[in-house]
Amino acid sequence: MFEVLPHTADVGLRVTADTLGALFEDAGRGFFSLIVEQLSEVHPREQKQFELSGHDVEYLFFDWLNELLFAFEREQLLFSEFRVSIDSGGLRATARGEQLDHTRHHLTHEIKAITYHGLKVVRTPNGWLAEVIVDI
Amino acid sequence: MQTQAFRGPLEKVNDYCWRIPKSYKAGMRVDGMIFASEQLMKSIRNDPAAEQVANVAFLPGIQGASLAMPDIHWGYGFPIGGVCATDPRDGGVISPGGVGYDINCGVRLVRTNLHRLDVLPHLDQLIEQLFENVPTGVGRGGRFTFNPDQLQSLMDSGPAGLIGRGLATERDIAFTEAHGRLHGARPDLVSERALLRGRDQCGSLGAGNHFLEVQVVDQIFDRQAAEIIGLREDLVCVMIHSGSRGLGYQVCDDALRKLRDAPKQYGIDLPDRQLVCAPIESPLGREYLGSMRAAANYAWCNRQLLMWQAREVFETVLGRPWQALDMQLVYDVAHNIAKPEEHEIGGETKQLWVHRKGATRAFPPHHPELPDEYSEIGQPVLIPGDMGRASWVLVGQPNAMRNTFGSACHGAGRVLSRHAAVRQSKGRRIDEELREQGVVAKARSWKGLAEEQPDAYKDVDLVVEVVHQAGLAKKVARMKPMGVIKG
Repeated sequence: MFEVLPHTADVGLRVTADTLGALFEDAGRGFFSLIVEQLSEVHPREQKQFELSGHDVEYLFFDWLNELLFAFEREQLLFSEFRVSIDSGGLRATARGEQLDHTRHHLTHEIKAITYHGLKVVRTPNGWLAEVIVDI
Repeated sequence: MQTQAFRGPLEKVNDYCWRIPKSYKAGMRVDGMIFASEQLMKSIRNDPAAEQVANVAFLPGIQGASLAMPDIHWGYGFPIGGVCATDPRDGGVISPGGVGYDINCGVRLVRTNLHRLDVLPHLDQLIEQLFENVPTGVGRGGRFTFNPDQLQSLMDSGPAGLIGRGLATERDIAFTEAHGRLHGARPDLVSERALLRGRDQCGSLGAGNHFLEVQVVDQIFDRQAAEIIGLREDLVCVMIHSGSRGLGYQVCDDALRKLRDAPKQYGIDLPDRQLVCAPIESPLGREYLGSMRAAANYAWCNRQLLMWQAREVFETVLGRPWQALDMQLVYDVAHNIAKPEEHEIGGETKQLWVHRKGATRAFPPHHPELPDEYSEIGQPVLIPGDMGRASWVLVGQPNAMRNTFGSACHGAGRVLSRHAAVRQSKGRRIDEELREQGVVAKARSWKGLAEEQPDAYKDVDLVVEVVHQAGLAKKVARMKPMGVIKG
């Protein structure tokens, strides 16, 4: 589950999930919901694999969103479905989506970068919680 | 996430200045100083930005005070509107967060010799043509593409490198801060990712708060300065706000990643990870400065190409060459940057690194870095407001050198979050509301327009009044928007 957090100049994202993998998956959806108006308009026509190493879960979370941003910037790929598995060495992920099509996808935000300000990934009694601010 | 109002001490120094004493938090090396009026302090207190002013005071080698301009609002790491000067000989650091992701985001103002009434009959067509010909919006590249060698060369030379291609003039360069070139750029240190993000974006506006606006001079406050700058009532001008696009964002991101362990390495205690930094005189510090300068030079090329495209559109719509329309650059200022400058501290002249994160340089008359034409009046300080109200031209004043390391505000400053602005505009048509006020607005995204609606910003007149009263910069002219294109 994700929700947008108010931030004066930029945009924050709060994500909650039962497992760490699901947290990263929901964060992926939350992230693209900031870029494209209707995430439901992003169809899973193609897929891309990601592999990231790292053991600090906050930096891994940061790096994950950063990779998604770069995939969008370089290849104009929008994603709406994610499978993420995480172990002590890092993550493996499959993201499904499609090429940006300006006739169907209305873009709302240009995300300049993921920031470290207030970056948080923590275990809660109900699972996991993450918070991040992206620079608009 | 800390989203609450600031609860720390804010001591009134005078009507336009407030102090956060360094006793507020263990680790602060200097006081925090916020330049604002009583009225503006109300919204400043409701935002975590003042906490960020205190956090910046932790940076090693910080001189004077951690400063904030009256348009201060919550940023990431540094507050937006923050100014911090560090001394390399006192262990001073460079912090990429004190420049921001959009390295050398800034503003340029182009004047014309057109009267408001000359433009009014063509306004719709003009805005339409600007929207069609100047690339705006998320992920939209420009019509200029540069191969890696050309990009490297532009990152070294800045817009002077565009003269040979017929896309800039000597005069354009002379009226750009630092002549559009920070020396010591290291384009070779700019990552492959940054080059990929930037290769087709030079000459594009981007989204968010970036814009290209056709404005009309509404009121003159200083006749002599206005005459020298070439502004008078009812004159049409063009204001451009953009930065280093994906290339700069990536340079900052790369630097922050490399600096993740630097605080531990150099024994620096920081209250926020976004403030990571390295000593200026260290391999990591020098590396960032080399790539930051390259991105800054790229940003000046970007604004030069945006201005060039605007000149071409005016030529087409008004049917005369841009020279005949006297579309000359008034000035170009950076408001997200770090630069080495000479400042006086306790009677001693020191070479400091001044970080301006959402603050404009405001050098006073006779400063050696001014173009000769502006030597008697001071450097033009360009302050964009919002789409509905006004923007300003001021000139730098001596108090800026005494109190703010030669800096003033950079805009109105947001008061509503993007989220709240969208919520507040549900069921409204911001473009139609603006049209009723006589402003033609074109944007790729309705949400983008809603987030940037006038109500989302502080009243720029109040912000400018503080800067004027505090003697940091003097009011010269106010402009009203006629039409705007956005992402």
